[in-house]
Amino acid sequence: MAAINWGFAISRPRVIDVDHNNLRKSDEILLEMPELQSCIGCGACTASCTAGNLTQFNFRKVHTLVRRGEYQGAYEEMNKCMLCGKCRLLCPRGINTRGVVMLIKRKLGDF
Amino acid sequence: MTFFAPFCIPFIIGTVSLFVTIIAKWVSWVYYMPRTDRKLLRRGLFSMQTVKGVGEVVCECLLHRRIFRINPLLGYMHMSLAFGWFLLIVVGWLETVAYLGLEPVPLQGHVFFRYFATGISEHKPVFDFVMDALLLFVLSGVALAWGKRFYSRAMGMRRTTKHFLGDRVALSALWFIFPARLVAESLTCALYGGGGFLTGTIGRWMASHVNIEILQMLYEPSWWFYSCALGVFFVAMPFSRYQHIFTEIPLIFLRRYRLLPHEKASSLDKFQIQACSRCGICLDPCQLQQDLGINDVQSVYFLRDRRYNRLKLAVANNCLMCGRCEAVCPVGINLNTLRQNSRDRLRNIPDESRYKYFKGLDRSSGEGRVGYFAGCMTLLTPRTLHSMEQIFKAVGEDVWWADRDGGVCCGRPLKLSGETDSAKKMMQFNKELFYKHNISILVTSCPICLRVFREEYALRGIEVLHHSEYIARLMREGRLKLNNDGGRVTYHDPCELGRGCGIYDAPREVLSAVGELLEPKHTRENSYCCGGSLANTVIGDAQQLRLAQTMSAEFEATGAGTVVTSCPLCKKSIARGTSMPVKDLSEIVAENIAS
Amino acid sequence: MERVIVIGGGVAGMKAALDLRRRGFEVTLLEKSRHLGGKVRKWHCLFPTFTSAAEVLGGLKAEVADSDIEVRLEAEVVSFDNRSVTLASGEKLACGAVVLATGFTLFDARVKEEYGYGIYDNVITSADLEEMFRNGRVALRNGERPRRVAFLHCVGSRDEKVCQRHCSKVCCVTGVKQAIEVKKLFPEADVFNFYMDIRMFGPGYEEMYREAQLSHNIHFVRGRISEASPTIDGRLQIKAEDTLTGRPLKMSVDMLVLLVGMRSNDDNVHLAEQAGVPLAPNGFFAPKDMFAGNVCSPRKGVFYAGAITAPKSIGEVLNEGSAVADAVTEYLS
Repeated sequence: MAAINWGFAISRPRVIDVDHNNLRKSDEILLEMPELQSCIGCGACTASCTAGNLTQFNFRKVHTLVRRGEYQGAYEEMNKCMLCGKCRLLCPRGINTRGVVMLIKRKLGDF
Repeated sequence: MTFFAPFCIPFIIGTVSLFVTIIAKWVSWVYYMPRTDRKLLRRGLFSMQTVKGVGEVVCECLLHRRIFRINPLLGYMHMSLAFGWFLLIVVGWLETVAYLGLEPVPLQGHVFFRYFATGISEHKPVFDFVMDALLLFVLSGVALAWGKRFYSRAMGMRRTTKHFLGDRVALSALWFIFPARLVAESLTCALYGGGGFLTGTIGRWMASHVNIEILQMLYEPSWWFYSCALGVFFVAMPFSRYQHIFTEIPLIFLRRYRLLPHEKASSLDKFQIQACSRCGICLDPCQLQQDLGINDVQSVYFLRDRRYNRLKLAVANNCLMCGRCEAVCPVGINLNTLRQNSRDRLRNIPDESRYKYFKGLDRSSGEGRVGYFAGCMTLLTPRTLHSMEQIFKAVGEDVWWADRDGGVCCGRPLKLSGETDSAKKMMQFNKELFYKHNISILVTSCPICLRVFREEYALRGIEVLHHSEYIARLMREGRLKLNNDGGRVTYHDPCELGRGCGIYDAPREVLSAVGELLEPKHTRENSYCCGGSLANTVIGDAQQLRLAQTMSAEFEATGAGTVVTSCPLCKKSIARGTSMPVKDLSEIVAENIAS
Repeated sequence: MERVIVIGGGVAGMKAALDLRRRGFEVTLLEKSRHLGGKVRKWHCLFPTFTSAAEVLGGLKAEVADSDIEVRLEAEVVSFDNRSVTLASGEKLACGAVVLATGFTLFDARVKEEYGYGIYDNVITSADLEEMFRNGRVALRNGERPRRVAFLHCVGSRDEKVCQRHCSKVCCVTGVKQAIEVKKLFPEADVFNFYMDIRMFGPGYEEMYREAQLSHNIHFVRGRISEASPTIDGRLQIKAEDTLTGRPLKMSVDMLVLLVGMRSNDDNVHLAEQAGVPLAPNGFFAPKDMFAGNVCSPRKGVFYAGAITAPKSIGEVLNEGSAVADAVTEYLS
């Protein structure tokens, strides 16, 4: 019976449950780098991303999820970044994107 | 003659403590050095470098030649204190020998000779005069030091270092030593006669104007005070910035034996860190200080924090690593390497599983003897890429394009952030890629890539050239002919290209062939950083912009029509700071190819 | 009656001059170039109704010609205050009030080098496209019909990297309008609009947006293009993130249209200094307030009309022409 494939996983819900998520780390991150809040999600960072060109890495998505309290896997994702700095040259909001990568890795090393 | 009095005790304690601490430090630093470094040390010790090192010690540690070159008044201040004090010790020793022959005299006997020599009836006026002259020389330095503290601008420094408590104690003790000596010796002269033009004159004045009982009452305390000042200074010295006095000497030899800091921190670094005298010469060139008013991250503060184990990531990371401070450091400390290996210590987490996705990757195109590595940033300045293509075409060169459709970063940006081990993976990947495609020349238009290719890749059989060098070579070989129609241009030296790789002349050679070159005020070794530096991950966008604007104002002042640079990052930054047209070197070359 | 000088002969300046003349003032209209009409002269038709720009402009120009407004062309102003205007020729004109209507400057798309304007043949700006519409010939550089066209919104607007923080307001609508026009010319072509936000603020705009999607099958991709590069077959490859699916997107197109924004004129700094009036941080002139005094400067006798204070649509600019006439009348009576 255990071998039945139900076709979907029930372990992790899809919904971002902000009530349930602990936003403490997210708040700490935003306190250190308030400019991250000014992201308008244009995706220019991800579009030009040297690592994103080669892998599934999506900087915009990862930091947005982190801001919503979804920390799982964020560190591993950010580790795909090569820190080349292209995204910083493009960000229309002038966000210090390299600083964001380093900050998220520092804050979420144990997630 | 006995050479002991109770007042000598503070001095003796101080001296013993000083030598024990210094020797313990030196021994432990050498003991914990990486083995390869110790081997270099052994090999260097018995070479000509040791002899040359002695000369350098005299020039730098005593005469402070490099500070003289930067700021003569400051040089005089340091020289008068160091060289003056040194001569006082040497001449003082000669004085005792002259009076007593080669009879062994304990250290305090030399130092407090005036006190113990009151019984000697015959005086040697030559020594009285010389010793007084030297004391005056040192006192002039102390006076300047006082002046600098209260009014640094008069000394040609806009800013002076902010010190912490330990330094202040040592500093105050140092300031008191020589005035205390003057008072003690003058009092001795007042009571017992003798002395030269300084102490003797003051002594005679005291004797005639001050009640003898008061003089007698002050006599012993004055020597106590002098001894205490020396004792306090000696005890505090190895724990304060004055440690530099004894650290700079071995540093000079180590440098001559090629023992330089590495990308990983080691005990060797302590010879550099503790050789910092916190003179503050690194403050004024710092653009973060000058334009942004950030005043706690400069090299002097970085070294101080690192020395006392309280270095914060925010301080270590807040540096453009432009190298402007390193260029003027009178001790010649490798500031950027130290900053880099501090970041490594704070941030490097080796992770074997990282960058697995590099495996089997190759997005390169074309084939040729010459390889071109655009670098990530150049992909955002397609005009450079386009111009390089035109130049290659004009000289009929077949080119292997390493990363035009994306590739792996050169690794330097990650390394600068401190993740040294992961950066190695990128370097290894690119290195293998270069070998795989059998190129003999690798051209890059990004100075950041250039520097890491040269310093870390160790590419055997592949010559690494910046595009400015490559173009200059094409011109010299007569393969590329250019028209001189570029008009009046000014040139910005990128940090990584100029101070980083020492390439100043190749771009100028190219520019003078295509137009008239007008230099901005800060140029070559002295040029400003554009603010876009990848080494700084702390400052924000508005701060970067301000750095770019200050720098760009100098280009506008030259009267040139175009700003030329040879770094994609600088180009982007400058374009934000000015309304003048900004071009990469390759663009202006491609525009002026003679058909 | 006193003389009022209107600086700038675009739609705002002309409308202000006409309304002022109608109220009986002696009006001098100064225009730097050889023609009245300003930026609208170069436009083909206007959103959201596709009204011909020439029609709107023609009406105004005819009215100006019929009136006895003193029009001086090729009259460049070097400085002004509330009582006089000095021309580049050195001539000084006295007046009772000045209306500044010198508009804006189009963002120079070459600054955004990564989009390749001025490097690749078929990267053009929205202004270039209007020029093509006016000439009646929209084509690639090699004369062929485009099969796929991409519009990129917010070039030189809302971008810290080029020091243009503000929203230029009209580019979104222009992008949708031009996309429809291109689609009408080339029904077989695919048209994509790459946007960060679509700001349809005016009457009929949202309806036009819906029409573009429903009737013209124009694709909207939410993502900012990061760079354009040439492909081997002479097309352009653009890269963006399709942020709604969260994945990077690559696309080959024949033509890339950059919807360039409105930035403040370079000489605003000098003029404001001479006249003693303040500029907003984005370089446009700062009005006395954003409400009842939005055509007035803090200085008495100096008035503003049109895009001199902020990016505006043509309808808004025309309204300001009338509003400023009213404010000047109140001031001078």
